[in-house]
Amino acid sequence: MEENKKNYLTKEGLKKIKEEYQGLLKLKKIRSEKEAPYFLESDEVNAEALAYEEEFEYLESRIKKIEEVLKNFELLKPLPKKERDKIYLGATVKIELDNEIDEFTIVSTLETDPAQKKISNESPIGKALIGHMVGDKVVVQTELVNHTCRILKIEYK
Amino acid sequence: MNAIKKFNPDISKLSSKERLLLDKLILAAELMAPLYLKQKNSKYPGANFYPHNATKEEIEEAAKKDPSILDPYTFVERDKSGKLITMPFCVRFKKELKKISEILKQAASLSDDKNFKKYLLLRAESLLNDDYDKSNIQFLKTGNSKFGFLTGPSESYLDKLFHKKRAYDNWVGILDKKRTEEAKKFKEIILSSERKILFGSVKIKPPKIEIRIEKTPIFSGLSADFMFTGSTLPNEIYLIEKYGLILTISEDSLKENFKKDEFPIFKTLFNKNFQKSYSEKELYKASFKCILIHEIAHNLLYYQGAEERLKNIFPIINELYAYILGIECCGTLLLKDVLTSKELESILIMHICRNFTWWQDFLKNPDVKSYTLGMVIIQNFFLEKKAVEIDKKNNFLKVDFSKLYLCISEFCRVLEYYIALGTYKETEEFINNYSQMKTFQKNFSPLLKKISKKLKKE
Repeated sequence: MEENKKNYLTKEGLKKIKEEYQGLLKLKKIRSEKEAPYFLESDEVNAEALAYEEEFEYLESRIKKIEEVLKNFELLKPLPKKERDKIYLGATVKIELDNEIDEFTIVSTLETDPAQKKISNESPIGKALIGHMVGDKVVVQTELVNHTCRILKIEYK
Repeated sequence: MNAIKKFNPDISKLSSKERLLLDKLILAAELMAPLYLKQKNSKYPGANFYPHNATKEEIEEAAKKDPSILDPYTFVERDKSGKLITMPFCVRFKKELKKISEILKQAASLSDDKNFKKYLLLRAESLLNDDYDKSNIQFLKTGNSKFGFLTGPSESYLDKLFHKKRAYDNWVGILDKKRTEEAKKFKEIILSSERKILFGSVKIKPPKIEIRIEKTPIFSGLSADFMFTGSTLPNEIYLIEKYGLILTISEDSLKENFKKDEFPIFKTLFNKNFQKSYSEKELYKASFKCILIHEIAHNLLYYQGAEERLKNIFPIINELYAYILGIECCGTLLLKDVLTSKELESILIMHICRNFTWWQDFLKNPDVKSYTLGMVIIQNFFLEKKAVEIDKKNNFLKVDFSKLYLCISEFCRVLEYYIALGTYKETEEFINNYSQMKTFQKNFSPLLKKISKKLKKE
């Protein structure tokens, strides 16, 4: 993460992250004490070992990310009414993306949970939508994939 | 030809009672295999379901007077006068099915899971009367059960005449809770957006979609023959519409297909420099995602009347569309940071490798033709749009990832029309235009020769 970059969190998000952090530390301790599955010395992909390795890597990277954020965060204040016609962090947006109608809330990276429709403000789509209004057509570009979306609705809960 | 395929998953955490139950289920699967072999016959488009000298027109004419002729659970035969009559599966195989049914009842007595127990008992009955609705509805209540189990006539891929007659199929699975939870989250993300439907079409939305990732001790029948890695059940649209469905993925089948076919094909198709950019681990994960998104994408494809309208060509379009629609959905996942670019590239690579494994499988087993034709269609399209090119000097495949993704998006729009609204005639014409095996073999000949050579060595 960039140095001195402020991380904005909602009050609810901060609480969840702190709880997650404690849980991850406990889990890391348990995993460190347990023996790792045997990695076969061949070209064979050992699914259990793969899963173990992935889990540990995820644990460590997630703990590190949370620690960095907690060192330098600011609680997100409710947006003034006159600014709520544009998309900023905390906005729930409804968009038409090619053949789909999609709805999600733009949150800080640490609060991201796509299964709960919470998308990072640093994702390609999050970045592209920030600052736009209802009716705007926004091009979302990556190296592989380009899509155009139209903003249908913006809400702040 | 394999009608039984055994894997070796870790069952050490099962209790002794659960192991006894598992043994019963495996035995039932083994006893089902010969029934499948009596249905299968690659020499005839109707396999052994219809008299080999019966024409499509004759069968259709007979079905007008006797609808059981095209019932999914009947053999069609000739009586002494040559007239077409039917013999239900449960009558033809009465002795064998009675034995399997008894074993399922024994297995049920060993199960502490009420829903699974009831499913086994209902299935034991279904085998004896060819009425599978009650047991299919009960199957849908076993989404959280420790064991997964399919037995009975399932898919109609062997019937290339009418896509009606169901082949005996059987798998036994043990739930992998952790992988299942991860897969459920992925499913939620993909299905979180609402896809627009074509004007004039009617889409069916399952009320409930469960997902299971399983370790697999055994496949028998169709699953063993085709080496499926995933399945979506039940097959009856009226049941899906009312009750929902369960997607099941076999970790063991996936791992074997990857190790034996997909990864070696990756090493055959692409040059060493390209190979270095994608580790085996990354590609294995991508292969898993390909199957997962394929099965999830099937849920986006239930258009009312599609199967009746497209008849025997329905499986070709349906399977192809599920593959590429799943990959198209990955584009949105990239935009949401659910996937990285590298992960999407790996998925595109594994999609191509899987296409060539279907061609390889077709050489050994002509019954996988529906899948192979779908693959031929998309590969010919990729080549036409220059999303893939062949380095003819060195006999390797070159890929332009962004063109490939664009191709897939474009092709999705095309296939959506055919599956949602297309008539049989225009869909058949489209398939014929793109599925020319000779064109495919000519275009990709240097690569196919390499793959064949590798096959012969094995």
